[in-house]
Amino acid sequence: MPIIEARNLTKRFHRPVKAPGAAGALRHLIRPTYTDFTAVDGISLSLEPGESVAYVGPNGAGKSTTVKLLTGILVPTAGEVRVCGLVPFANRIANAKNIGVVFGQRTQLMWDIPVVEAFRLLGDIYEVPDDRYKQTMAELVEVLDLEPLLPVPARQLSLGQRMRCDLAAALIHAPPVLYLDEPTIGLDVAVKARFREFITYMHERRGLTVMLTSHDLGDIEELCPRMVMIDRGQIVYDGPFAEVTRRFGYERQLHLTLSAPVPDVPAALAPVIGGRAARITDAAEQQLSLTFDGRAITSGELIRDLATALPIADIRLVEPTAESIIRKLYQGELRFDAQPAETAP
Amino acid sequence: MSAAAPAMPVSRSRPRYLAIALAAMQQAVAYRLSTISSIIGNFFWVAILYYLWRAAFAQNADIGGFTWPEMRTYILLAYGINALVGFASASRMMYAIRTGDVVIDLIRPLNYLRTQLAMTAGAAVIEALASAAIIVLLGLAIHAVPPASALAFILFVISLLIGFVTKFLVVFTVSLLCFWTINSTGLNWAQGAVISLLSGTLVPIALLPDWLQVVANALPMRGIVATPVGIYLGQYTGWTLAGMLALQIGWLVVLWLAADRAWPRAFRAVEIQGG
Ligand SMILES: Nc1ncnc2c1ncn2[C@@H]1O[C@H](COP(=O)(O)OP(=O)(O)O)[C@@H](O)[C@H]1O
Ligand SMILES: [Mg+2]
Repeated sequence: MPIIEARNLTKRFHRPVKAPGAAGALRHLIRPTYTDFTAVDGISLSLEPGESVAYVGPNGAGKSTTVKLLTGILVPTAGEVRVCGLVPFANRIANAKNIGVVFGQRTQLMWDIPVVEAFRLLGDIYEVPDDRYKQTMAELVEVLDLEPLLPVPARQLSLGQRMRCDLAAALIHAPPVLYLDEPTIGLDVAVKARFREFITYMHERRGLTVMLTSHDLGDIEELCPRMVMIDRGQIVYDGPFAEVTRRFGYERQLHLTLSAPVPDVPAALAPVIGGRAARITDAAEQQLSLTFDGRAITSGELIRDLATALPIADIRLVEPTAESIIRKLYQGELRFDAQPAETAP
Repeated sequence: MSAAAPAMPVSRSRPRYLAIALAAMQQAVAYRLSTISSIIGNFFWVAILYYLWRAAFAQNADIGGFTWPEMRTYILLAYGINALVGFASASRMMYAIRTGDVVIDLIRPLNYLRTQLAMTAGAAVIEALASAAIIVLLGLAIHAVPPASALAFILFVISLLIGFVTKFLVVFTVSLLCFWTINSTGLNWAQGAVISLLSGTLVPIALLPDWLQVVANALPMRGIVATPVGIYLGQYTGWTLAGMLALQIGWLVVLWLAADRAWPRAFRAVEIQGG
């Protein structure tokens, strides 16, 4: 049975349209106008207990909105959602006991109060029995190396230290589900590495189900074998991280070295690649780079045709990496067409 | 950095909302300077009003049913009491909504209204201690009158506590408007001014224009200041006294039910800001 299940989950925001300045504000007061904005657009997703999933996508894709829908803070416009068998927005309080949440930009700690006191407050809020509290706390303090931070008020913590404390804060009540919304924003490499180690540990030791939103590719590869990618509110990919290349890595590159200079390469190539899904991206002295669509033409066919037109000395074929594909998506250079969502592997 | 050795976290569990109130109290201690200075700011008005009223009482022995000793006691107590649930508490609630930090409260298994009451009460303990100390000192200096009787004092304390929760509920409900209007500072000043007028802090309600008296006497705000101070001064007896307390309790129930229904709707109607 899945622990998190969403079917056609949709969230439309009703956004006020205001012209800038006081005049615009006044006009809005008299005749308010709104536009509907669909932040999450029919997402279907299912996570098995103990699974960890990276939920990735460019800024504004709808990641945080999805997390808020799963925590019960927002009410979906359409669709269904269940977490640990509960409908989050209808049972916000019961659902809250099953989940831990870290919002990268916010903290559960209190500014002027020692970290240890904030932990204790959370223990009380979640009504964790004394012995369980001690046991969990001891584990968290050890694995996250919190000992020196306990007497420090949150305001004196560095970003990385605060993140570690916030992670512990989210797990004091030992929830089965952990949501991490951009938890590694602005962290240095060493802290990120330790963070990933910890998540892996909790995942393996406690069978924690983790949903991590991030746009940091390092997190994804090491933390979550499964990746769900969203763009403009829709799932564009759901599957193993490594599979991305197979599915979307159709844009391949061919680098050629010529055995003799050719005066006008484009002209020489026009008859062979004209009308084909290949184009020249770079041409120097005796060097030539081409990009082609692997779905339309195989590298074998292309090389054979090129060899008829040019004196080729050497050939190098470059396959895209998952990272480069995702990066292109973020930069808007690659547009994934939404596909029917797949069920978990 | 604290010099104390970092002890292993030890917990003896406390009731949830008590723990929240205690944490808020600790937080208020950390901000004691700003808490105390805003309370002292309040007492500036006491000084100004003291001299204005002294001049007025030079010609009259009785104004709106008050003698001069009663009036100076009234203004002292009124400002001292109105310091509870001060600007800082109102700002805290509004700020959380405006910035979206409210999500931190909402991911916890807590009732939002009770959580906010607990936080406000925790901070109010510090506000009350500072305010009470100033009231006692100034009271001695200006020869304020003691409570009308022991019973009056007990009822005054009860009425004061009801008034505190009433003020919290008014401020809480107003803060929900922050979901619609983003200008929380304006909202905060406006609600402060309205409470100050209708609670009888600025001037006793008996001295307001007739029509405004009718309004003020019906509204819950008078329970925040005018009712408890009136009880302290022994202005109400018998059925009037019972009626005053009944009005306070009635409004308390109505406001509580209204606030408890309003917040989930406000959250639902308007979305939470920010990632
Ligand atoms: N409360 C809101 N009201 C209106 N629009 C919102 C609100 N919250 C988020 N949005 C919009 O929804 C889209 C998705 O936002 P979000 O889920 O925060 O994206 P992400 O976390 O992937 O960066 C954005 O375009 C954002 O502007
Ligand atoms: Mg986000």
